[in-house]
Amino acid sequence: MSVFLKMSVSVSFFRPFTRFLVPFTLHGKRNNLYSTVLQRYMSSKIPAVTSTNNESTSPSEELELDRWKTTMKSSVQEECVSTISSSKDEDPLAATREYIETWRLLGKEVPEHITEEELKTITECVSKTAKKKYLKYLFTKEKAKQAKKIKKEMKAAAREEAKNVSLLETTEEDKQNNFLFLRLWDRNMDIAMGWKGAQAMQFGQPLVFDMAYENYMKPRELQNAVSQLLESEGCNRRNVDPFHIYFCNLNIGSVYHRELVKRYGEKWDKLLLTATEKSYVDLFSKDSIIYLTADSPNVMTTFRHDKVYIIGSFVDKTMQPGKSLAKAKRLKLATERLPLDKYLQWSVGTKNLTLDQMMRILLCLKNTGNWEEALKFVPKRKHTGGILEISQYSQELINRLKKAKTFNSFSKSTLNAYAQKKWLK
Amino acid sequence: MTFCLFRIQSFPKLWKSNSYLPLGPRHSYLCLFMADSCGIRKQPRWFSLKTISSQNTKATNLVANSRYLRKYNGNDNQVPSDSLHFFSAGAAKKRSQMNSQSKDHDLPPVRNTIQLPTQPLNSEEWDKLKADFKGRSFESWIISQMAHDRSPVDVAKSLLAWVAAKNNGIVAYDLLVKYLHLCVIHKQTSEVIDVYEIMKARYKILDSGGYTLLIRGLIQSDRWKEAFLLLEDLKKVMTPSRKNYDDCIQGALLHQDVNTAWNLYQELLGHNIIPMLETLKAFFDFGKDIKDDNYSNKLLDILLYLRNNQLYPGESFAHSIKTWFESVPGKQWKGQFTTIQKSGQCSGCGKTIESIQLSPEDYEFLKGRIMRDVIDGGDQYRKTTPQELKRFENFVKSCPPFDIVIDGLNVAKMFPKARESKLLLNVVSQLAKQNLRLLVLGRKHMLRKSSQWRKDEMEEVQKQARCFFADNISKDDPFLLYATLHSGNHCKFITNDLMRDHKACLPDANTQRLFFKWQQGHQLAIINGFPGSKLTFQHILSYDTVVQTTGDSWHIPYDEDLVERYSYEVPTKWLCLHRKT
Repeated sequence: MSVFLKMSVSVSFFRPFTRFLVPFTLHGKRNNLYSTVLQRYMSSKIPAVTSTNNESTSPSEELELDRWKTTMKSSVQEECVSTISSSKDEDPLAATREYIETWRLLGKEVPEHITEEELKTITECVSKTAKKKYLKYLFTKEKAKQAKKIKKEMKAAAREEAKNVSLLETTEEDKQNNFLFLRLWDRNMDIAMGWKGAQAMQFGQPLVFDMAYENYMKPRELQNAVSQLLESEGCNRRNVDPFHIYFCNLNIGSVYHRELVKRYGEKWDKLLLTATEKSYVDLFSKDSIIYLTADSPNVMTTFRHDKVYIIGSFVDKTMQPGKSLAKAKRLKLATERLPLDKYLQWSVGTKNLTLDQMMRILLCLKNTGNWEEALKFVPKRKHTGGILEISQYSQELINRLKKAKTFNSFSKSTLNAYAQKKWLK
Repeated sequence: MTFCLFRIQSFPKLWKSNSYLPLGPRHSYLCLFMADSCGIRKQPRWFSLKTISSQNTKATNLVANSRYLRKYNGNDNQVPSDSLHFFSAGAAKKRSQMNSQSKDHDLPPVRNTIQLPTQPLNSEEWDKLKADFKGRSFESWIISQMAHDRSPVDVAKSLLAWVAAKNNGIVAYDLLVKYLHLCVIHKQTSEVIDVYEIMKARYKILDSGGYTLLIRGLIQSDRWKEAFLLLEDLKKVMTPSRKNYDDCIQGALLHQDVNTAWNLYQELLGHNIIPMLETLKAFFDFGKDIKDDNYSNKLLDILLYLRNNQLYPGESFAHSIKTWFESVPGKQWKGQFTTIQKSGQCSGCGKTIESIQLSPEDYEFLKGRIMRDVIDGGDQYRKTTPQELKRFENFVKSCPPFDIVIDGLNVAKMFPKARESKLLLNVVSQLAKQNLRLLVLGRKHMLRKSSQWRKDEMEEVQKQARCFFADNISKDDPFLLYATLHSGNHCKFITNDLMRDHKACLPDANTQRLFFKWQQGHQLAIINGFPGSKLTFQHILSYDTVVQTTGDSWHIPYDEDLVERYSYEVPTKWLCLHRKT
């Protein structure tokens, strides 16, 4: 330390002569390498730094430790000029883009590529949290896309390989077999489902999706709702005895309608369901309608084949409880909820199920009437211990009581005392 | 375990010795309870058995024991019969401690076990350390650890040197930011400036974390003015945080640039950001050395800001305020830390604190808002139906103003052991004896005969009080609020509900504060222990806990450092400032 202090003094005093002095001061103490390093350092731009930081470390290490700074600064100059010239200073979009880039450098969850449109959405986000959320969404979307692409490529490669192998095989022995059917299964399936669907349109039990919640949903929720609708429609189509689906309160030109047409494409006009701008109260008699909502005070006990069940096509991520119940109350409709508590030991999650889960449960009830079977479509994560029958539940209670009693038998008098207590009361 | 069993086996002897006492049943009850809880819950209950048994040997009164039991039953409605007010700081914490058992804390996750170096390492040593590491990115992991453990700057620097040497002299952005973080926490100003130079040269725009660190680091140095430029840069992409403003203001004050500090403060308020209390404290701390009327007025504005936004200074801030007032020349302010008596008088100077009652305009405003936002809420069918609303409005109009409005269901369900209708009758008849005009709100199902609701008792209730029964699927709380507000300022309501969900229905913070003030002044919470005893209520605060002045005195409530206050509670400690005459 003392040696170093002396050195720093000498450096500051004789700066013009450092080139000559330095080798002398260090001579004998350190080897030649360090002197050259020091020399180079001294000739760089910022000699002041050494004198401020030098209390804590020995000089040799200090000098070596700071070298990266000079390289960081010097190596950058040319790159820096190019970036400045390419982007305008005043453009907020460009600034945001660069800002997001720094986040990516920090390893935060932001996408690598952002389109102009997405960038605009980001700048339109009101709060920092909204921005973060949207960026995370884009990030996961990008990641999923990449993973899918990689998988696709791998599959293609595998197929190519299999093709090569099979080519070799077929050349060896030409297969000649007798078949009963041509291989047209998919199309045949579609046609069969179409027939069933047409039958359902004529004689099927109506099932209504109430599309009147458009205004309560954010764009993302609406997208999810449409996905769930597609899923439920697909489910219904494949079933042995499909419902006759109604999309009620679906206004032409509304976001819902546009989104559905976009997702179904030209298939939309050929779908075997009834889409109407009318309300369900206009189509069916009021006393045959049952509105299904998790907020209902009434529990559904059996599936009635003479009723029209209504499902609100509403994805509610912002917690607005009682929306659909209010709707049913206004129209004075009967409401029911699924007997989830009766058959399942609920643990987490809301009791609002997705549209496709509702559809599956209703289809299952319609065909079998078996609650245990139907409620298997409730996500497993939402309940514990699977499906508990009532008897099973009471059995468990008895077991628990028994356990308690065996504990009590450690001291017989506790039981006596229990009796005594009753008597006292 | 063995100990417990031993205790249990020793019980019979106890009973033999004094079997005439009602001790036995209590024992058994306890044991049964213990067994049951062991069947459901986990081990820790064992220990409580020990304390109970020792209590039994003393044969204490039955009352204490039954209270003990109920505590374990997890009775949520129970409010500790403690001197703490329902809404005063720390009360919620206490309630939660009484109601819940302490949870076992999870073990911390297993860490990567590399000893952080305490000395700068050379590149071979870093290479060796890296070889031991299993994970994705050694460099960023280790520098995060260093930042977490506040390692010396030089160690981090040696790491960066090693990384740079491997990487053509380039250090990644995240490493640079973490290094900057280390420099800032160690207050290595020259290093901060170096990193600042590097970042300026290399990146046109930084992330908000980088800006924040640079601002905080630069503000200490003599290049502090550049921190404001950084703040401008940050504004291009997003609104700076209140911490950024805090740093800048503190820096400006540190360098005696008062105007910039006030400008930044105005800008902060303009963004609708609530300033950090530290920022406000800094203004007061700085004010001690300034004898300037303009500055003093601005400080008084800050106090009014605290008042309008119901903010409470912390303990040290309160001290700063006190010292500033006492340093004002010629006015001879005298400050002391006191509490307020129940009567609403300051123990220090004897002055009466502002009343909790709302002004007539505020009262009307709140009434309208409750009707519009809480009951109606844009869709009358959500909480009630239009018919019911009509029926309720007519009912309220037809009755003379009430003195007390009772939330029937809340009161009835206070003690799970007792019959609900009996509890309600008990409360109603005790209040009716005092010649109070009562309104009981409930739901229609209360009128249906059941094991919990006896018809004769309900008829008795209806004789002694006016009743309104809402539909079973309607919400009764909004009606309670409206009925109380409609009856006028003298009317109180009884419920142990904190009404937070209804407060949340109100559109803006200002209205919510009004509601809270009204609630503090009008809510009667039942605190007495058991069904049998006489009814006692949580006393209602007669004064408003808010920063206030009468010109020659200031009363400022403040938060103590060691008391945890929930958002719906108010502080209990006050700073009383008055001028010597």
